Amino acid sequence: MSFTSVDFLFFLAIAAFLFRLIPARWPAAYILVASYIFYCASSPRGAIAIALATVFTFASALWSQRLKGSSRATLIVVSSIVLLVAYLMFFKLIVFVPHEGVTSWIVPLGVSYYSFKLISYLLDVYWGKMEAAKRFVPFAAYVAFFPQIVAGPIQRSEDFLSQIGNAGTILPGILRIAWGLAKKLIIADHLAPAVNYVFGHATSIHGGWWIGFYIWPLQLYADFSALTDIAIGAGRLFGVEGPENFNRPFTATTISDYWRRWHMSLTNWLGDYVFTPLRMATRNAGNAGLVASLTINMIAIGLWHGITWGYFLFGVVHALFLSVDALSQRARKRLSKKHPQWEPARDVLGWLLTFHLVCLALVFFRASTVSDALYLIGHAWTHLTFLSDVVQPFGSNSGRIFAIGLACYGLLELCERYRPDRWLAHARVAGPRYLRWSLYASTVLVLAIGFALLLASSGGPKNPFVYAVF
Amino acid sequence: MAQQTEQRLTSIFQDVFDDDSLQIRPEMTADDVEDWDSLTHINLITAVEREFKVKFTTSEVTGLKNVGDLIALINKKSA
Repeated sequence: MSFTSVDFLFFLAIAAFLFRLIPARWPAAYILVASYIFYCASSPRGAIAIALATVFTFASALWSQRLKGSSRATLIVVSSIVLLVAYLMFFKLIVFVPHEGVTSWIVPLGVSYYSFKLISYLLDVYWGKMEAAKRFVPFAAYVAFFPQIVAGPIQRSEDFLSQIGNAGTILPGILRIAWGLAKKLIIADHLAPAVNYVFGHATSIHGGWWIGFYIWPLQLYADFSALTDIAIGAGRLFGVEGPENFNRPFTATTISDYWRRWHMSLTNWLGDYVFTPLRMATRNAGNAGLVASLTINMIAIGLWHGITWGYFLFGVVHALFLSVDALSQRARKRLSKKHPQWEPARDVLGWLLTFHLVCLALVFFRASTVSDALYLIGHAWTHLTFLSDVVQPFGSNSGRIFAIGLACYGLLELCERYRPDRWLAHARVAGPRYLRWSLYASTVLVLAIGFALLLASSGGPKNPFVYAVF
Repeated sequence: MAQQTEQRLTSIFQDVFDDDSLQIRPEMTADDVEDWDSLTHINLITAVEREFKVKFTTSEVTGLKNVGDLIALINKKSA
């Protein structure tokens, strides 16, 4: 069930409506049942896999807590994490087994996300940051929470469990979902055909490689942040506020700044559970320890998406950028202190350089082969033909579609800069219940009509989300 | 002792973040200090370990919520 499908929105509306009717004692059980219904609709076999992993982790955490402080507790936690990583690797590697249609039924939905949730939960209990969950139902609801199962954001168990039982917030939820749908359908899906064409014909086209280099990151951002918006909005309907995943990533002026703004819930997760333990272990090894920790961490980020050379190189390239960034940080800071008048120029140059480095790494992420990626990077600034010439080959109105996507992307950046949603959220709906509910109903109606018009004009939701496969 | 710890810690912060005007407060968090991220956090921890002659574990380092927690941890470890 794609987040942009009518099926999903229908399911979400019914689930959110019934959530308001259930007794206050059962929110966790309700969320658990709704999540497994959602899960079974996509992959019934995957539901068994997630249930097994949940029971295993729940028991393992309780067991390790009972033996707290002993070497057996460490053994339990380490072997459980090894098993969970093996479980994740199994599904990541099975796509290479040559078998017709094997991936469609065997890889559980969102396995990369919930495996990470389970691993961090075990470590948090082991490190004494939280008590092991005593009640199974809320814990299982946390693991399978359907708004976050497709593509995160990766919420920590403590944060999620403390919010269970909160009443849903309808209007902020609907607005966030609408924002996500608009980003996906108006921006990402309008940029996708040109980007797909360029990457699909990287070595046979005669111009337009810049689209693969510069526009693909914009498409990915619109696409992936739309998924997060819908996930956060849907979570609000059930009283759960998920963590933010993006903070205007393309305004970053250094690579480390970029990683504090891009896929934040994953970066923070790896920072806490991979980078920090590694860095603690290598803290007396000087710069070599720093570079080694960064490299392992960034390769882990790359390979988390899938076991391919492209993802591996994406991680390696970012490790290189981040190492240079970290090792030169002090010198750069001293320089800008010495010459404060250079600051504006430094910010502009830093922003330009960071954006180009981000684009460069993302070519490896997207290209089918490494040689395609290198070819595209090598030709990115050649044959900078006009828009109409570049996008003409793939359909009569493709130029118009591309232009709509690009123009609306500009609007997206403006909206994220000035945040009109903030003053919308502060606009309190006063008045009697029937008035409030008529406002909600008319908002939904207006959005539904807009959504239907969008679907009709674009010929249906045919582009799956980029991040829905991880 | 807490006050003395705070003074010594201030000079470590000023050195690690290369900012002589930096003054620490117990309620201060990573959001309040420019450049305080997971990278510089370990530099800070290593500098604290060296100055106070203590050793921290990963769980202690990831469990810190603010500067006050760090001061309390240092005092506990060096007591």
